Amino acid sequence: MREAHRGLIWGRLMRNARYDDTRIHPRFWIITMMLVLVGLSTLKLR
Amino acid sequence: MLLELAQWLAKDIRAFNVFGYITLRAVLACLTALVITFMVGPTMIRRLTSYKIGQSVRDDGPQSHLPKAGTPTMGGALILVAVVVTTLLWADLQNRFVWVVLAVTVGFGAVGWVDDYRKVVHRNPKGLSARTKFFYQSLIGIAAAYFIAFTTNLPAQTEFIVPFFKNIAYPLGVFGFMVLTYLVIVGTSNAVNLTDGLDGLAIMPTVMIAGALGIFAYVAGNVVFARYLGFPHIPGAGELAVFCGALAGAGLAFLWFNAYPAEVFMGDVGALALGAALGTVAVIVRQEIVLFIMGGVFVVETLSVMLQVASFKLTGKRIFRMAPLHHHYELKGWKENQVVVRFWIITMMLVLVGLSTLKLR
Repeated sequence: MREAHRGLIWGRLMRNARYDDTRIHPRFWIITMMLVLVGLSTLKLR
Repeated sequence: MLLELAQWLAKDIRAFNVFGYITLRAVLACLTALVITFMVGPTMIRRLTSYKIGQSVRDDGPQSHLPKAGTPTMGGALILVAVVVTTLLWADLQNRFVWVVLAVTVGFGAVGWVDDYRKVVHRNPKGLSARTKFFYQSLIGIAAAYFIAFTTNLPAQTEFIVPFFKNIAYPLGVFGFMVLTYLVIVGTSNAVNLTDGLDGLAIMPTVMIAGALGIFAYVAGNVVFARYLGFPHIPGAGELAVFCGALAGAGLAFLWFNAYPAEVFMGDVGALALGAALGTVAVIVRQEIVLFIMGGVFVVETLSVMLQVASFKLTGKRIFRMAPLHHHYELKGWKENQVVVRFWIITMMLVLVGLSTLKLR
């Protein structure tokens, strides 16, 4: 995954990710929160 | 800025009227600040690393913190840039509350910046002396209190609101309001600064509280919701929801880089500014006690330092293994990540209690 996206923003953001990297959990929580926000914006954006 | 543009475009294309809604602009501000922080973050961390702007770690702290020495600090500047740019883009720039919150945030950020700069660039371990730092914090706090007190046009805007009770509100008068405002702004700023000792510990509660205060600001600024929920109506306060959205977005994106093991620390420039921002929003929307509840982690961390110092001076004995409180739990054997996530969970519960005061009154 990381190799496939090397050079893109996602690749830059995940560049330090390893299987034992504790940063992965909060980063996936953050992504979920962003998606929740996008979901909430559909309350008004219609 | 974009609001004016949307209003101008709406004369020809009605769809642009949608940007007039505060709720939508708050969500867009959150996403904009997220994107700005994500884009600028890696470059800024590289710069800070190349300039060798690294954090020094206290010698008497937990041993597990020694490897953190040299981690780039002053990352709070990234949050400030994202918040200020986003607020200028999405908020109504005719609104006086937006300007006072921005001024306080940048002002406290500047004090923190000087302190950090002296510590990490000039290698002066003392940074700004506590007295000088407190003097400038007080100056900005008093100026903000004076401005808010003398630009209010309704008595309800200076009343002390007691949560959970619909009919209890104490008129503070101009002097009382100014004293309370000053204490809340300076107190919150320093409380967040004391809490900022573990990776991600200060930023996530800040994000959650900013989100909740954004809801309070929206309610206070909306005459229908304010009347329905029994809140004082504060015209213009709703625009602070956009600022809170930006704060939450920038903070969330900063957590990406600040999560354990942190790539960057926010430093005083971030901690002092974020605390002052939360305090200022809370006094404008008249929710000081709710801020006290939701920021329980900040309050307890501050109290732990005060109790530790008082106990040691009076009796020569320590109450905690180490202060602030997060170090006490680390020394009890909790992993850093456990302390951080558990403190987040506590904050989430407290924010829910705070939000319940919207209806439970």
